[in-house]
Amino acid sequence: MTSKNVDDLPAWESQVNALLDSELDEASTDALKQAASKDHELARAIIEAYQLQRSMDSIAVEQAPASLRRKLRNIPRNNRQSRPPYRWVMATAMASIALLAISLVLIQPRQPSQADVEQARQDLAVAFNYIDKIGHMTGDRIHSVLASQLHNGVTGNISKHFPFTEQSLKEENT
Amino acid sequence: MEEYQNQAWTLARYLLKDAQEAEDVCQEAFVKLWHHQDSIDKDKIRPWLMQVTRNGCLDRLRRRRPTEELVEWHHQDESPGPMQGLQQHQTGQWLKRAIGGLKEPYRSLVVLRDIHQHSYEEVAVVLELSLSQVKVYLHRARKQLREQLAEVRP
Repeated sequence: MTSKNVDDLPAWESQVNALLDSELDEASTDALKQAASKDHELARAIIEAYQLQRSMDSIAVEQAPASLRRKLRNIPRNNRQSRPPYRWVMATAMASIALLAISLVLIQPRQPSQADVEQARQDLAVAFNYIDKIGHMTGDRIHSVLASQLHNGVTGNISKHFPFTEQSLKEENT
Repeated sequence: MEEYQNQAWTLARYLLKDAQEAEDVCQEAFVKLWHHQDSIDKDKIRPWLMQVTRNGCLDRLRRRRPTEELVEWHHQDESPGPMQGLQQHQTGQWLKRAIGGLKEPYRSLVVLRDIHQHSYEEVAVVLELSLSQVKVYLHRARKQLREQLAEVRP
């Protein structure tokens, strides 16, 4: 009866509580009853504990008032916009990340090798050479055509107005 | 969910002793639950809710002005008076006020364990105490109530 546990509670106090919680085994219950039959203080403690428990049983969980129940019912409606469904957010985020990764891979230009760069340079040099040649040929052709046309244009127009000049030119040509 | 509403409400009422504040705390707790429902296991919703409700109550108690606390304790001192001749249902009313006069965490312990009938393990989670602490504190709380009850009983 006088022994104390580490928590400053009499040892039998713990047993009384265990008895109320139905956590005391049969042997310990019998031992407690035996002790109570000889110890008036212990017996009174057990009786008071049972009285308290019975009084506790008369206390029910209170029902939440109607005003609170109404507020709680409105929580989903009032918080719908600010709380997107978690799973959908996660799924959308994951899908977006995957799409972004694939897009980056596809958009990213392939890095050419050194051989590719060299081949491209050679192809470009051949192409420029070809363009240069074509350019020269075209220039020569334009030059000859223009020269001939200009000559004909100038001399032809004059000889039309001066018949003797045209005649002398024919003679000269023959 | 209605059971959880009632339990949160009861806990807040015992801790705050103010209907409007208890209502506000419960609403805040359920809004938090709504926002976190996907990240909480179904079987842990009740202890989570009780913990958030209790923490909300304790925050409000800390913010209260000292004068408000004095009024509250003065009221408590008067409330659980003698109950000679009272009927059993009136004993319950007296006991409610006596529970309200307990200090924390005793008050929460009695409400969660003896009124809500939560397991010791669940109470330990809610109050962030070890199992042995829960048992010891609950023993002390019950002893206080038992002694008060013995004093006023005929």
